[in-house]
Amino acid sequence: MKPPGWAQLVLWAVAGENEAEFVAGDLYEEFLLLCAERDRSAASRWYVRQVLRSAGTLLGLRFRSGEAAHLLAAALIAVAMPLLLLDRLWSFVYSHIPLKDGLERAPGFWAANLVCVCACAALCGSLAHSLPRAAGVALAAAVGAGCALWCSAATAPFWWAGLVILAASASSMAVFAWRRPR
Amino acid sequence: MPKGEALGEFEYLVILAVVRLGANAYGMRVRQEIAERTGRDVTIGAVYATLERLTDKGLLAASMSDPTPERGGRAKRSFTLTGAGMEAANRARQDLVNMLDGLRFPLPGRTS
Repeated sequence: MKPPGWAQLVLWAVAGENEAEFVAGDLYEEFLLLCAERDRSAASRWYVRQVLRSAGTLLGLRFRSGEAAHLLAAALIAVAMPLLLLDRLWSFVYSHIPLKDGLERAPGFWAANLVCVCACAALCGSLAHSLPRAAGVALAAAVGAGCALWCSAATAPFWWAGLVILAASASSMAVFAWRRPR
Repeated sequence: MPKGEALGEFEYLVILAVVRLGANAYGMRVRQEIAERTGRDVTIGAVYATLERLTDKGLLAASMSDPTPERGGRAKRSFTLTGAGMEAANRARQDLVNMLDGLRFPLPGRTS
């Protein structure tokens, strides 16, 4: 008897190389016990619930446990994606406002960008476990912010783009410094 | 005591489960032990995150075993308490005893 294949795939995707084998082995062992005690469908439901409820924790553990490349990629994507989505959202909103069409945007748009960048970069910074990794995350966040602004449909003032990029790296470093055990 | 050295509630439960299980302390057993004794619906992810954190703090030591068929050919990671872990567990117990001293239970309040 085997647990649902898609749940196993999710587990391997979120747990990473360091943890997946042990977690999958533990879950499989208990899955077999449950199959014997109850039935296969109940055991499968239990397995899926365990995987889904553990996904966030295991993903955080994966980032903290040494898979630095994933953390850097996550920092880059976590900063760039919301910025690009915000850009698309504002493009849609502006396309529905007569006389407001064009590349110039309200200060509120840029402020929303700044808040979003700081929040996402801070979240990634909180996952960094060492100073070199925090520095890497800060750099990745800055690159992510830069790429997103470069791909944006609106042209940001030059000084503002610089501020967003600086804020991305500064907020991730600030949260790392705040969370670091003393 | 420096910040970060005190045990959290769940960390304490995990350490006690490891002590109870002895040589048989690994993720699934720890999860079952806590679930059975406390009635909590504990996830394997929460247990592994805590075991990892306690190992990083030097309170637990991890060792690997060979893959077995009942685990689908996968290896197992077992945990044992270190000297620092024992000290931390004893200190946490003493803190709890000190805080409970003189209190009468159940505390007044709604019981439903």
